[in-house]
Amino acid sequence: MISRSYRWALYLVLLAVVLLMISPILWLASTSLKSPAEMASFPPTWLPSQLGFSNYVDAVRNVNFFGALRNSLTIAFISTTLTTLSSAWVGFGFARLTAPGKKQLFVVLLATMMLPGIVTLVPTYLIFAKLQLVNTYWPWVAWGLGGSAFLIFLFRQFFAGIPRELEEAAIIDGCGYVGIFWRIFLPQSWPVIAASVILSFTHAWGDFVGPAMFLSQDSTTLAVAMATGYVNDKGLPMNNLVAAGAVMYVLPVLVLFLFMQRRFVSGFSTSGIK
Amino acid sequence: MERPGRKKKPAPLRKARTFYLFVAPWIIGFIALTVFPLGYAFWLSLTDSDGLSPKTHFVGFDNYLEIFRDPLTMSSLAKTGVFALVTVPLSILAGLLLAVMVNQRIRARGLFRALIYLPAVVPPVGAALTFRLIFDRDAGAANGVLSGLGADPITWLVDPNVRYVLYALVLWGCGGSMIISLAGLQDIPRELLEAAQVDGASYWQSFTRITIPLLSPVILFQVITGVIGSLQSFAPLLLSSGSLSGAGTVPQGNYMYMIHVFAQYFSASRFGYASAMLWLLFAVILLVTLVIIKVSAKTVFYTVEPEGTR
Repeated sequence: MISRSYRWALYLVLLAVVLLMISPILWLASTSLKSPAEMASFPPTWLPSQLGFSNYVDAVRNVNFFGALRNSLTIAFISTTLTTLSSAWVGFGFARLTAPGKKQLFVVLLATMMLPGIVTLVPTYLIFAKLQLVNTYWPWVAWGLGGSAFLIFLFRQFFAGIPRELEEAAIIDGCGYVGIFWRIFLPQSWPVIAASVILSFTHAWGDFVGPAMFLSQDSTTLAVAMATGYVNDKGLPMNNLVAAGAVMYVLPVLVLFLFMQRRFVSGFSTSGIK
Repeated sequence: MERPGRKKKPAPLRKARTFYLFVAPWIIGFIALTVFPLGYAFWLSLTDSDGLSPKTHFVGFDNYLEIFRDPLTMSSLAKTGVFALVTVPLSILAGLLLAVMVNQRIRARGLFRALIYLPAVVPPVGAALTFRLIFDRDAGAANGVLSGLGADPITWLVDPNVRYVLYALVLWGCGGSMIISLAGLQDIPRELLEAAQVDGASYWQSFTRITIPLLSPVILFQVITGVIGSLQSFAPLLLSSGSLSGAGTVPQGNYMYMIHVFAQYFSASRFGYASAMLWLLFAVILLVTLVIIKVSAKTVFYTVEPEGTR
């Protein structure tokens, strides 16, 4: 049994940690509402002296916000759908079919999860540049079709747990493996699909190096536009606009998280990393 | 369906073909987007390519030799090592402590978990911008607190202080480590801890003798992914100019290996040299991972044998 004083100490520590964790986000929100004059005064005010959303309007006008938003959404959509479908397809192969060389391939698959992504990213960029495919969405189509080793592993673990009778019944009914995958296994795997969609969406939305390298400044994503935008004539950042832009950029992910917390967490706990 | 009489191919062979049909997207992607680029980078690393001029010369392993002669490269590698040695253990330790706390039967623990984990889902760009605003010289909260305490404001985002901003930024995401450790804690059979209690073990004893050993694979996983992540980190870039071409302007304290690679590619156009640097990083990561696995082989405890395929 936990003693009462211990319980109170625990609450106190946790409350302090939560405050520490949340305060940066609160500061971001507070800064996003401050006027330029308020930004210039020292020491800084904790809360904006008056509530005004003009920073948000300026943040949208100052950079090509909606263009960048459209690019972010397009790339997120391409990556999410293709990566999820392809990973499920490959995961099914590893879970339900046998062939010589399968064991070795699976070891290679697991090893690629440890591969430093950035090491292949730069040379991939050089190759796509040679093929004149930079500044298009084709790199994301290619990455999506190749699937993600981690998600393939997630799908494989799930599919491996489905009883064999289901598959055998379908074979007796004359259904091929493609049909078994589409009609029986894929519809059953919605918990993994949900985890996969959330993980690949947040990854695509948050990715900085990919779009910074593969897309030019006027056709880039929100992540890159936020990281480089909102600079005045003197080359200094306009911090209240940076804050307003960052709030709009971060908010969708935070909302998605708050509504789908369990899925975020299950993405880790079902991964069998232990 | 094929007619049974005409069935020539044995079933296993057909099944094997189906298997390769299913895994083909990954195999093709792996070859085209991983193996081939790695090979291309290796070929580049043996030349003096600048990415533009058509004539490049084969220079053998000169680029690799230069890495060890270039003081900037060596110092950036050392800084990256220090960064990993500081942030990886601190993150894991903080995550483990938090996981133990939110694993207790307390009220609103779901809310505690969610709010502590929240920073880990903030995209890297959003997190870096937030920390740039907190540590701004004039409009930042950090100097606001200092002036409230009567201290002089500090210019955080330049040398030598910017290094601590980077460490703070990374530690802000320790909720990610908490979630992984929490998943590990929840998998520990309750009977085991109860049995220890019955036998008169103190909380500390059952923590060090049962919880930690059972958690060791999870901790090992975090050490490996943490080190790999640190070596590739580009967060220093986001804390300064935020553009790849501005990699050369990152303050010295945060001028890490990956930043130097970007500077060599996108500012100096030294593709051959930068590719050699990438291959060295690849080799270092491989080596570090192997060393960690070897060293931990005696200390990590698996309840079941680690399996390849079922």
